[in-house]
Parts: sequence; C-alpha cells; structure tokens
Amino acid sequence: MTHLPYILASYGLAALIALALSIGAALRLKQARMRLAVLERSSDRTTGATPSL
Amino acid sequence: MTRKTRRLWLVIACVACLGAAAALMLKAFSSDIVFFVTPSQVAASAPPADRTVRLGGMVVAGSVQREKRGETPIARFDVTDGQAAVTVRYEGILPDLFREGQSVVAVGTMQKGGFVASEVLAKHDETYMPKEVAEALKKSGKWDPRFGPPPSATSWNSMTVQDAKKGLASSGSAPLPASTGN
Amino acid sequence: MSATPTLVARAGTWFHRYANPGRFLRLGARLQPWLTWPALLLTLIGLGWGLFFSPADWQQGDSVRIMYVHVPAAMLASAGYAGLAVCAMLSLVWRHPLADLAAVEIGPVGACITALCLATGSLWGKPMWGTWWVWDARLTSVLVLFFLYLGHIALIRAFDDPQRGYRAAAILALAGAVDLPVIKFSVQWWNTLHQPDSITLTGAPTMSSSMLWPLALSTLGFSLGFAAIVLARTRAAVMESRIRSLLSSPRRRADAAPGEAA
Repeated sequence: MTHLPYILASYGLAALIALALSIGAALRLKQARMRLAVLERSSDRTTGATPSL
Repeated sequence: MTRKTRRLWLVIACVACLGAAAALMLKAFSSDIVFFVTPSQVAASAPPADRTVRLGGMVVAGSVQREKRGETPIARFDVTDGQAAVTVRYEGILPDLFREGQSVVAVGTMQKGGFVASEVLAKHDETYMPKEVAEALKKSGKWDPRFGPPPSATSWNSMTVQDAKKGLASSGSAPLPASTGN
Repeated sequence: MSATPTLVARAGTWFHRYANPGRFLRLGARLQPWLTWPALLLTLIGLGWGLFFSPADWQQGDSVRIMYVHVPAAMLASAGYAGLAVCAMLSLVWRHPLADLAAVEIGPVGACITALCLATGSLWGKPMWGTWWVWDARLTSVLVLFFLYLGHIALIRAFDDPQRGYRAAAILALAGAVDLPVIKFSVQWWNTLHQPDSITLTGAPTMSSSMLWPLALSTLGFSLGFAAIVLARTRAAVMESRIRSLLSSPRRRADAAPGEAA
C-alpha cells in the first residue's frame, strides 16, 4: 500500500505556500524600501534636512 | 480609572461574556457535536431503523468474517466499547487501516439483525511507532495489537529501529534491551 | 487621569516605545536575518528528515510523513490567531498603531497556513481514515477558524476609514478567540474521528523519539518562518504608510518621521 501521491502532494503544497508567501513578502519589502529611499532623498533635497533614518 | 483602564475592563468583560455564551451553547449541543455513538449507547436505546447513525468502537479480535458475493466483498464484524458489542455488516472495500483491534466508525442504520453500514472509516489512535519497534513489542509478547492499545509510551518511545532489529535478531522471545525503560 | 500611573498605563508606555515607526524599522531590520535563515535551515532539516530518514509508522506506513507538515501547520494556525487576538487587545485598549498594522499582515499568512493544515489533513485522511472530510468537532472547529481568518481579512479592509476597520476586525479577532480552546480540547470533550494529541504537557509523548525529533525541528522551523514572513510584511507595511504620508505632505517631512520624543 503506497500513499506516495498523498505525501508528495502535502509536501508540494507546503513548499508552494511557503514560497509564495516568502517571495511575496520579500518583493513587497524591496519595493517599499526603494520607493521610500527615493522619496526621502527628494524630500531632503527640497527641505535641505539630513535624513534621520 | 483612566480611559485605558476602563477600555481594558470593557474588553475583558466582553470576552468573558462571549466565552460563557459559547461554553453554554457547546454544552447544550454537546450530544449533537459527538461524531459517533458507542455500542453501549446503542444497546441501551437502539436508534430507529430509518435514522443514520455513526457507530464507533473497537473491532473485536476474531470476529471478522469476510465473504465475497460476486465482485463485492462483504465483511461482518463486532464493534465494542468494552461494555457492549454490536455486529456490523458492510458491503464494500474496507479502508487500509482496518484490522482486528482497530478503532472504526461505521456509518449506517440499526436494523433488527444488527448494524448495516454504508461506510466504514478507520480511526487510528495517537500512537506513532516505527514498524520495527511494533514488531519487537509483538515478538516479545508485550503487546498484541488485536487486544488493545500499546503499552505505556515511556517503555518504547526512546527505542530506535536499530534496538528493535537487534532485539528481533538476537532471539524471538528474549527481553528487549530498551524494554527496561528510560 | 490619576497622578500615579496605573499598571495599565505603564504597560501602555512600554508597548508604545515600539510604536515609533523608525525604532520598529531599525529593530525589525536587525531581527529579520535571525528569523529568516534559522527558519529556512530548520524547516529543510525537519522536513528532509521526516520525508527520507524517519521510520514508517507501524499502522500508517509512509503516510505518517504527512504529519511533519500537518502538525506544524495546525499549531501555527491556532498560534497565529492567538497573535491576532493579542494584537486586537493592544489595539482596542492601548490604540497601538503597530498592532493594527501587524493584524493586517497576520491575517492572510494565518489563513494560508490554516488552508495548508486543512488540505494536508484531507490528504492524510483519505488514505488513512478512508475519507477526505468528516464533520467531526476537530475538523469543523478548524474550518471555523479558517472562516474567522477570512472574515478578519475582509473586515479590516472593508472601511474607507482604516481606523474603523481596525476596530471592527479587532473585535472579531477577540470574539473568534473562543474557537481556540474549542479546537484544542475538541478531541477530549467529544467523540471525534480525529485522534487525541500525541504530545501533551502532562504525559510522555505517545510517539517514538525518532519521529518526535523531525517533528520538533519542522515545527520550530515553521514557527520561525511564520514570524519572519509576518515581520517582513509588517516592515513593508510601516514603510508603505510612511510613503503614503510623505506623498500626501511632501514638504512636511518631519510629520512622516516623528522624532524620539513620542
């Protein structure tokens, strides 16, 4: 009695969900960081203040 | 009392009320929430023949009779909860886990001659044990799966597959190295 | 307001030290690698061990390997909702802004892990019990948890004024927390098809240690991974809210980054 398909499906599903969540989070973080950096640089130029972060 | 303290108590009171309400509701519906009835409950008051019930219990060792009518296998076995036993008749393929001593849930109706199941589900217990360890326990006579749950987990849960193989190889009935418990 | 700060107020001050977005971002950036890499390592070791090196079960055979995915997912589904309830408490009582942002981010991650728990449970139930699904108390209460997550996700995004969404979702999170003890004790209170817990606080685990080790590793790995993903998403959310406030008032940068005086 082999239940290999069920086992592989479980592990595959886990890998899929983990990949989707972590890649999604990483991309979102990267994009937010880049946009924030651009915005803070431009607003520094207008006000002439030094960045606090 | 500051605003925050008041808010805290308000939230705590709401959660407590909600918890109490949920507890009461679950208590009221308790008999409907159970997934299966036991053989002694069926023996005490048999459900009407047209009502589908789920009967749960252990398959009595030595009670399984299998026959074949044409293509469909027919199984007849007793299900017990230790106090009463009910005979179950099932046409169809039993699940892989089905064996004597296994817990099962049979879905069907109570007829005059016994319980007629339309579906049999195997219920496995919370014991997880390598095959080899189970073999060794059986060989040493410490446990027969047909007659009940395995011995206390502390006596085997640190036993490795290697221990079990060694025990099996050295001699069939000699006491196992790991059976002293640790 | 009384002159001497009450315990509640003092606790609030302590929580609010981490409400400062700049401080949170610095702390989060430092913490992130310590969650991400151990999570990856432990999960890979745990699952690899479980899949290839742990023994087959005496009655379930190789199907027992589904446990190394299913059990961590089930534990995290409950733990994630408990986290949501803690955030709700922080939000309702102390109006903690980070708790709201964290609640927004925990919801989808928790829903995913609950879906994984239900799916792997189904994949385990079919070969072992002989059915994909039964309406027993354990399975049903976890399904209720899944719908609570979905409700929370929808509710927290449902309002134009985010503050109202935070309040409503926090109330739902606290109300739904009654499902957690029901899930935990369902296998003891009622007859269920689902077996009772193998690992309890009181007794010895009814599981061979050769299976307990990979299970422990993958559970730890999944938990750290859950924390890492939630932290990354919350950091992104904090940055996004700063971006929004910078865009809405480009000249008043000071408002976007409130100083240490808060």
